[in-house]
Amino acid sequence: MSETYQQGEIEPITGKYVHAEIEGVDHRIYFEEAGPEDGIPLLCQHTAGNNCQEWRHLLTDDDITEEFRVIAHDLPYHGKSVPPTTQEWWKEDYTMTGKRFAETLVSIADALELEDPIYMGSSMGGNITLELADWYPDRFQALIGLECGAHSPGFYIDWLDHPQVNTTEVNAYSCWGLMAPQSPEAARRETMYLYEQGATGVFKGDLYYYSVDHDYRDKLDQVNADECPLYAVNGEYDYLTTPEDGRQTADGIGEGAIAVEMAEIGHFPMSEHPELFNAYVREILDHITGEREEDLPDVLTPDHVGIELHPPAPAREKPAE
Amino acid sequence: MATETEFATHEWWESYKETVNSDPEMQVRGHDKFSENFYVEIGDERVLLEMDGGRIANLVPNPTLNHQWSFGVEGDREAWEEFVQETPPAFNHEIIASHYRSAVRNEDGHLMLTGNNKKIFQNLRAFQRTLDLMRVAHNNGGS
Repeated sequence: MSETYQQGEIEPITGKYVHAEIEGVDHRIYFEEAGPEDGIPLLCQHTAGNNCQEWRHLLTDDDITEEFRVIAHDLPYHGKSVPPTTQEWWKEDYTMTGKRFAETLVSIADALELEDPIYMGSSMGGNITLELADWYPDRFQALIGLECGAHSPGFYIDWLDHPQVNTTEVNAYSCWGLMAPQSPEAARRETMYLYEQGATGVFKGDLYYYSVDHDYRDKLDQVNADECPLYAVNGEYDYLTTPEDGRQTADGIGEGAIAVEMAEIGHFPMSEHPELFNAYVREILDHITGEREEDLPDVLTPDHVGIELHPPAPAREKPAE
Repeated sequence: MATETEFATHEWWESYKETVNSDPEMQVRGHDKFSENFYVEIGDERVLLEMDGGRIANLVPNPTLNHQWSFGVEGDREAWEEFVQETPPAFNHEIIASHYRSAVRNEDGHLMLTGNNKKIFQNLRAFQRTLDLMRVAHNNGGS
């Protein structure tokens, strides 16, 4: 973790609720934000089964929040966005689809009256950039798909919602290897801790979208990145959607799509290694706003952004010689 | 200090057993219940880890029909040698990562889980930690 705080110091994050209509139903959506009210809106989507706390280090990055109004929300059924009181939601499995997900994001942007927002999300939040560019290309200024791929099969697993396994722990630690061993252990452990907070069935339900419903392998020509720039930004250690998957996705989309590999980081960049990720994403944001004139490199490395990595992270401290 | 050339020797396994059995994380969060035997297969060599309450009770080289286990991990020696590096390369840095690239993406050169999936997931964190401690033992991180 990069921040250090003093006793009594209050972080500049505020949390509020906004009501958004999704598929004709009112939802009470929790969101946290930081940055100037007239800053460029940067709407941040958490990963499957998680919540907005994944973005807490971006929300406290002075360099980012000086220019951007960073907004991180909890999807319905996640974090503090409790299920809608008008629905008998307990009578059916929670299941996310691309249609519902994209509509939710647009509805939240509308409810918050965000003008030309930049959208950024990771994992399922990265994959949905393809649907957003396909169906709502005029709603966002640009889309940043972290850990983005046209297809990410294999993770809609029964054990993630099974009465005879400890799903709290399994949902978290099935994701353990998605992070880079170079990322600070405290941050990796916190990322898993956040995963242990999800409601029963929600992680698996999100993965229905991620691993089943989302398949753009034969539809990349429908993605309107020429109208709404799309950045496929994938971590070196992401075994689900690799940097090569990101490059193939961007190549398939064509004009307006840019692939960037993030070296020495994994599938949860914003929470597993905030210092490195925030420096990486600054390069992407500068490219979107035009502050950066030159092309982005194919691979962003810690050297590019002046970050000295922590020593390799052993699973346990070595004994003194 | 252990080196890659010493990987999976008798001395290496004994050091690894000591590392697992003295690991604080193995002793918390209910992992004293982890008593499912599993095997590790490195190339053609198989070693059975008989687990008892989150501790390795016995290491059994070349287990026979007289032994029992719930699941196992198989891979060639090169994949295991990548796995135990202090900073392992992407995709062989953790068991689920490696298994995914094998089982879902059909790639060679990664580790593969076998056996009873239900028991794997019932014991995932403790099993995963046990494997991660190979890296600790191999790099002299254990006491």
